[in-house]
Amino acid sequence: MATSSPWLTWAFSPTISAILVTLVISLLLPVLVHSYLYRKATAQALPAFLLIGPSGAGKTSLLTLFANGTPSPTHTSQETQTATCQLPSSALASTDRYRSVNDHTHDQPQLLLIDTPGHGKLRHHALASLTPATALKGLIFVVDSAAVSSAAGLTETAEYLHDVLLVLQKKHTQSRTSKGSQGIAVLVAVNKQDLFTSLPVGLVRQRLEEEVARVRLTRSKGLLVDSGVGLTDDGEADDESNWLGQYGSKEFKFGHMEEYGVEIEVVGGNVKGEGEEKGRVDGWWGWIGENL
Amino acid sequence: MLDAFEILTTSGIVLWRRSYAPVPSSVVNSLVGDVFIEDRRPKDAQGQQQTSYKKDKYTLKWTSAKDLGVVFVAVYQSLLHLSWVDNLLTAVKALFTKDYGIELKKAHVTKLNTQPFDATFDALVRKLDTGSTRRQSEADSEGPIELTPPSSAASASEEAVDEPPPPPIPAPQFKKPAVSRKEQFEGTSTDATPVPTPDTSRPSTPASHILTAKSGPGKASRRSRKAQHTLTSAPASSGDESSAGRNKKTATKAKRRWDADGFAVEGEDEVLDYSAAADSQQEQGEREVDVEDVNASQMGSRTGKGQFVLKDLDDEVDAILASSKQQVKPDSTEGDAGLLGSATSRLTGLFRNVVGGKTLTKQDLIQPLQQMQNHLLEKNVAREAAARLCASVEADLLNQRTANFTSIDSTIRESMSKALTRILTPTSSLDLLRDVTTTISPPNPRPYVISIVGVNGVGKSTNLSKIAYFLLQNQFRVLVVAGDTFRSGAVEQLRVHVRNLSELSRREDVGKIELFEKGYGKDAATVARDAVTYATNTAGTEGNGMLFDVVLIDTAGRRHNDTRLMSSLTKFGQLANPDKIFMVGEALVGTDSVAQARNFAKEFVDTKGKLRNNGVGMDGFIISKCDTVGDMVGTLVSMVHATGIPVVFLGVGQHYGDLRGLNVGWAVDKLMK
Repeated sequence: MATSSPWLTWAFSPTISAILVTLVISLLLPVLVHSYLYRKATAQALPAFLLIGPSGAGKTSLLTLFANGTPSPTHTSQETQTATCQLPSSALASTDRYRSVNDHTHDQPQLLLIDTPGHGKLRHHALASLTPATALKGLIFVVDSAAVSSAAGLTETAEYLHDVLLVLQKKHTQSRTSKGSQGIAVLVAVNKQDLFTSLPVGLVRQRLEEEVARVRLTRSKGLLVDSGVGLTDDGEADDESNWLGQYGSKEFKFGHMEEYGVEIEVVGGNVKGEGEEKGRVDGWWGWIGENL
Repeated sequence: MLDAFEILTTSGIVLWRRSYAPVPSSVVNSLVGDVFIEDRRPKDAQGQQQTSYKKDKYTLKWTSAKDLGVVFVAVYQSLLHLSWVDNLLTAVKALFTKDYGIELKKAHVTKLNTQPFDATFDALVRKLDTGSTRRQSEADSEGPIELTPPSSAASASEEAVDEPPPPPIPAPQFKKPAVSRKEQFEGTSTDATPVPTPDTSRPSTPASHILTAKSGPGKASRRSRKAQHTLTSAPASSGDESSAGRNKKTATKAKRRWDADGFAVEGEDEVLDYSAAADSQQEQGEREVDVEDVNASQMGSRTGKGQFVLKDLDDEVDAILASSKQQVKPDSTEGDAGLLGSATSRLTGLFRNVVGGKTLTKQDLIQPLQQMQNHLLEKNVAREAAARLCASVEADLLNQRTANFTSIDSTIRESMSKALTRILTPTSSLDLLRDVTTTISPPNPRPYVISIVGVNGVGKSTNLSKIAYFLLQNQFRVLVVAGDTFRSGAVEQLRVHVRNLSELSRREDVGKIELFEKGYGKDAATVARDAVTYATNTAGTEGNGMLFDVVLIDTAGRRHNDTRLMSSLTKFGQLANPDKIFMVGEALVGTDSVAQARNFAKEFVDTKGKLRNNGVGMDGFIISKCDTVGDMVGTLVSMVHATGIPVVFLGVGQHYGDLRGLNVGWAVDKLMK
């Protein structure tokens, strides 16, 4: 107390020095706070893409391939993983559309990839990162094109895809502001095209659409709606909002989702090549470039 | 011998791996799935959780560095008994986190240059491999020819050979001189050595002998003598085995040479290394070796070549192992550091508690976790489940930093709701309608059989009729089977339900329902089987030739600790062979729920004695009477925790329509409120 009292006296006294110090502080503080916040905000403004899909589809491999140039060996993920990567020179970002091909002064843009675990128990991680208004540019749904040839694999993939698309649709319909309803681009990355047992891209698309339609049907009939014990008054209203795509339509096409601002594209490729061969991912890079 | 050692992040990326034999990737995947995600680790006789996991023919041991999100996994064949793997894991964990911890803490790390770790790992294995790698089956026939632990002998001789321990060099730098020396030797040797491919194993052994002679005369000659001694003294029958041992050594050498060739290109280094490892794997896969021989020759060649078991590394490893042993004891020694000290620390602790950024210690966590456990107990979670949840939260949070402006309590709450969500979320969601549709539709249609079990008076018949109502709504034809042939009035009760439901379905013009009963006193399993045949084979009717789509079997309630009654369930499960077995549990029941769930689940074994549904037993729980408990829905957690079986339906009222699916978010909210 004894040491601080002269300082206090000085601080409140009407001397020139005290006034000057107060002035300097009051003028500098907003500037400092602004610069701090500004720097913090710009640091996180990388465009983000979310990797999503059932377990074993190759999400983490894809992440390492995009980030490092070579795919690392991977196992089942338990947590999300982020990585920054740079668009390769082969792909053109949409912002650079009118730039000359020979113009090398400009760096290829960077982007943030978010990998999510695909295990059934951990999917809420992925769906949780969808709901808030993150600066998501796009969603890459990775599909194992060999696994879809079996009924079980197809069902699992389609159920997950259905859930993801439904979340996107709800996000679009329920948002009050125009910002939330901007829509999002979805790439169905048909992975593992190099495998002998894999299905061609067109067939994968067709099968997924059929299966999603079937999932949608049983979900709507199941109507053992999530429990809110004794609180389910809005049962009727929920019907329509829980139906993916055009309500009541028999078939499901990915094109139906455009109504909700979700543009779906199906592109094939493979993360890992045979032997020395490199993976074929140019199509995916191209899609990312378009949506940057 | 170890089959593989992997270091992977929790996000699934393999940072470093060494495989001595090809191990399918699914082995580690299932470890991650079963142990880390589903938390379904095997228990030993005392109910203690084991730290090893068996899959196929492999045993896996692991340890993890939670703060870095790194898991260390060692894989070896279950036939072997490797006691030193625990030490290896501890040492690798300590060294790896020391070397790469800082890099790992950065954001967006997806790859590390872990090549220098090869050398460290090799050195570690050499030091810690105590040679107890003999096959257990051969152990008694061979008798006690246990090798003396090479760690002491090897390290002693190495200290003598390598005058100054070389610094921790990256592998290529070291390997280059070794190879050049050997090439030199090959040029001048009288043996006219061909290039030592893995096939031509013979000449490489003398090579290493002469090499040893060059690097350190006195010691190495002793070593070579020892190597020769082991070779000659080996029994005649093991001649080919010892050559196999040399064979292996060549393989490692071939790899070295190859490595040095690829050294020029920085980027390809790693790739080359991997394929070389694969080469040696193949070699090893073919061998069935007497382990003593391998060890002896390996030791000889390794130390003779002037290997880099660093002295400081040695000491470090010893220190790590010693400290890991001591860590168990001195937990409670600290605490009373004087009144003043504790007061100030408490003050700063309080401050930190508000502002956040506090590193959580065990002591910080004890009290809030106790509160959390009590809270869970109040919500009717069984003590066992609550304790385990709290333990998992503690493991999750220990040595973590709290985020800015979050108190310990809220951090714990967040972590707990994460743990609860993980437990309650089913691995694969059940879509009953879909399953039914696929089962009854061509190519091979058959009725879908669901049976319901449970303790007395939990509401089996009620829930059965609720499910029947739900199925009727979806235009299925349902056969209800009165499998309770024991309790008076059980059949009549079902008849009333069926009468009501058929009246309802007639009014709404959906589906059809019938009762199948054989009166009292009959064997329930036989009744169930007859019912399934009845539903299937009344051919010639309309549609797909079956009379009914779904068979719902009611069973007699039984006390879960009555073995006589419970054992009849096994027969029932095998005869009726239901597609789905649901167990009804009351939301009202407390601690007993755990025992109920376990005892029922373990009865459903198939004819081979394996639990059905991938070793889980049942397919789902129906938790009844949820409307009567309010917030106290802890039974959900207890039952799922005990068995890993998901909750599929909740009974939420007295009417036929009062059946709901489980909303995990809702349940977690109620539990945390």
